[in-house]
Amino acid sequence: MVKVVKGTLVECDSTMKQFLLYLDDTGEVGGKFVLEDLDDTHLLIDSDCVERLKEKIDDLMDKHTYVPDK
Amino acid sequence: MDPELDLANIAPKSASRRIEEYENEDEFGAKDFSKELELKADHINRPIWIAPDGHLFLESFSPVYKHAHDFLITISEPVCRPELIHEYKLTSYSLYAAVSVGLQTADIIEYLKRLCKTSIPERVIEFIKDSTLTYGKVKLILKQNRYFVETRHENVVKILLNDPIIKNIIIHQDLSGDGNHLNYDQYLANDVGKETAANDMFEFYDKMDQDEVNLNTKQKIYLFEIRKEEIENLQKRCQEIDYPLLAEYDFRNDPNIPNIDIALRPNATLRPYQEKALRKMFGNGRARSGIIVLPCGAGKTLVGVTTACTVNKRALVLCNSGVSVEQWKQQFKTWSTADDNTICRFTHEAKDKPIGAKILITTYSMITITGKRSFEAEKVMDWLKGQEWGLMLLDEVHTIPAKMFRRVLTIVSAQCKLGLTATLVREDDKITDLNFLIGPKLYEANWLELQNRGFLAKVQCCEVWCPMAPQFYREYLINRSRKKSLLFTMNPNKFRICQYLIKLHANRNDKIIVFSDNVFALKHYAIQLNCPYIYGPTSQNERLQILQNFQHNPKVNCIFVSKVADTSFDLPDANVLIQISSHGGSRRQEAQRLGRILRAKKDSNGEDFNAFFYTLVSTDTMEMYFSAKRQRFLINQGYSYKVINRLGHLENENLFYSKKEEQQELLQKVLMANESEADEEDIPSNVRSTAGSQVFRSQGTLSSLSGGDEGLYAEVRRGQSSKEKNRHPLFKRFHK
Repeated sequence: MVKVVKGTLVECDSTMKQFLLYLDDTGEVGGKFVLEDLDDTHLLIDSDCVERLKEKIDDLMDKHTYVPDK
Repeated sequence: MDPELDLANIAPKSASRRIEEYENEDEFGAKDFSKELELKADHINRPIWIAPDGHLFLESFSPVYKHAHDFLITISEPVCRPELIHEYKLTSYSLYAAVSVGLQTADIIEYLKRLCKTSIPERVIEFIKDSTLTYGKVKLILKQNRYFVETRHENVVKILLNDPIIKNIIIHQDLSGDGNHLNYDQYLANDVGKETAANDMFEFYDKMDQDEVNLNTKQKIYLFEIRKEEIENLQKRCQEIDYPLLAEYDFRNDPNIPNIDIALRPNATLRPYQEKALRKMFGNGRARSGIIVLPCGAGKTLVGVTTACTVNKRALVLCNSGVSVEQWKQQFKTWSTADDNTICRFTHEAKDKPIGAKILITTYSMITITGKRSFEAEKVMDWLKGQEWGLMLLDEVHTIPAKMFRRVLTIVSAQCKLGLTATLVREDDKITDLNFLIGPKLYEANWLELQNRGFLAKVQCCEVWCPMAPQFYREYLINRSRKKSLLFTMNPNKFRICQYLIKLHANRNDKIIVFSDNVFALKHYAIQLNCPYIYGPTSQNERLQILQNFQHNPKVNCIFVSKVADTSFDLPDANVLIQISSHGGSRRQEAQRLGRILRAKKDSNGEDFNAFFYTLVSTDTMEMYFSAKRQRFLINQGYSYKVINRLGHLENENLFYSKKEEQQELLQKVLMANESEADEEDIPSNVRSTAGSQVFRSQGTLSSLSGGDEGLYAEVRRGQSSKEKNRHPLFKRFHK
């Protein structure tokens, strides 16, 4: 049977690609979403996950940003 | 005794007072003060704004900036001092400091009124009154071995004399009349003139400068003698009734402690800001206890030496490492007439005989160590405790924990204490305790101003972003936090950039220091790049040798140091600093490290940057967060950081780790490193016993002593990389 999944091509730097693969492995966004690991800077992923991934990346960025509390 | 409880007694109740927050905020957090404050017609000529929440804003381009700045520094804490507008904050501590150098409540309010563009908010006036009314009104003076209490206020005299406890401590000269109508005038010491009123604005500012020095001669002074044995009780009682005693030392009239006859050499010239700091200390011919804040490299040591020469009494210098003990000694010999007979070092390495020394230089840990000492050290300590010291100099005073500090104060009795530091910030906010343990902050210099006047090197601060190598980032995401830090420090891209920067600056004949808190990284970098390195276990001799070579040998351009070199490592020629790993988000460490290259450079023409401070940061890691946090202090001092996110031509240079395989190998090494190595170095404080026994005894089975434990085999099986790591670099080469 043929199964159709809508994919999105992601271009990112190689570090971010590692982050996405990490999320894919740990299943933090609910299961696998990487369809194809293309090269160092490109991934094909499940389109349904895009929004949730954006949130995850925002969280990561927030964690690395210092906000002075004054 | 519980130290916390004890500390609570040291600071007067009112010290915790704060101005209440201003509530009239708009949705963006902006505060509207316009309804409360009235703008004066000639506001353009006046340099400051005062917000009702106690923040002061000073225009640094105002013609009267210099005067206003001196005044604000005295009464408030600098918050942020960038180029044009400086922010200060009134705190009860800063006001305490102000009154202790001789300013009075009415003066402070009057000066502020004249300087302020608007009317002064009511609550600020109230706050100043509350905070200053009882502070600094009573002084304890030691004169010719007799203790006196001095005050300039009649009402304070009344309070003191009517206090049931204090009444009994005072030696009454003449008890005439009934208790309620004591004749206060009998305590009047001298009564000279009235304060002159200045009309002209500028004349007024000049007077402000003079005032702090001359105040004492202008007013009534009440003096009464105190029974010596009751001193402790008096201090405690005064604290209780909210009139903390200020200690001043009349060193010129103290026959008790013999003079040590040292003087400054003629070649020692004080810079204007150093003079100003000293003037605050010796303002009225006596020595005040307190803290002087000068940036690293601005000549703190000279200030210390000058104080010792001025007081001219037995002096105890405390620093935080053996190396800085040597450096203090050196400085004493360069700037003053003190020689080897006068100066003694008391450390576990020096072979001096400290008993009877006139200037004794030692470390905090040497004094406070609780373990067993050698017989000689014990004798020295007994002598030290029995002495009354004229002056106690406390170097890098912010670095010592409050607890240790209190121990020092209980062991050593000194007439006058001077704390020296570059950065009065601590992550644990224990700074305020220092104000009451040592004394108020007497002076704080403005970093940028000193830089612009050529007293400090002009430093370009850069944050260099190093992209994480993908395979390293992968491990970073998986591993736990201790390994994480090792991974972002060992990031091969960071290594390459570090190597590139070292090459670049070595070609310009710069002297480079590389800092790494992480010992594993430190060793790896240094050995790979073939540079000498210093860390905790490095012996004193080797350290001095490396530093000597670094200074004088043109072939040694670059050294690697761990955080042992953060403070008090004098490296006058170094002008490039590269930081590859650091202690989390510590603002103080950042400032201290910058200080290593701040000493003014010979070729400073005032235009270009002549020193460089690089922080290498691995992107997308926690390091980004720490780095931003660390920079806060220096940014508040007016420094700006330049972010470099790409260095050109990295590929063309012949650098390590350019190939994937090499990077992979490095990663394996890092992953093999055990967790303890990933940690930052614990500074072994110089607490080693002077007995100097270096023999370790441990119990073990015969099999483990002969290498029969499983651990050893496990390591062999795991492949060669972890073994290789332990191998001496020389042998490593043979095995390649």
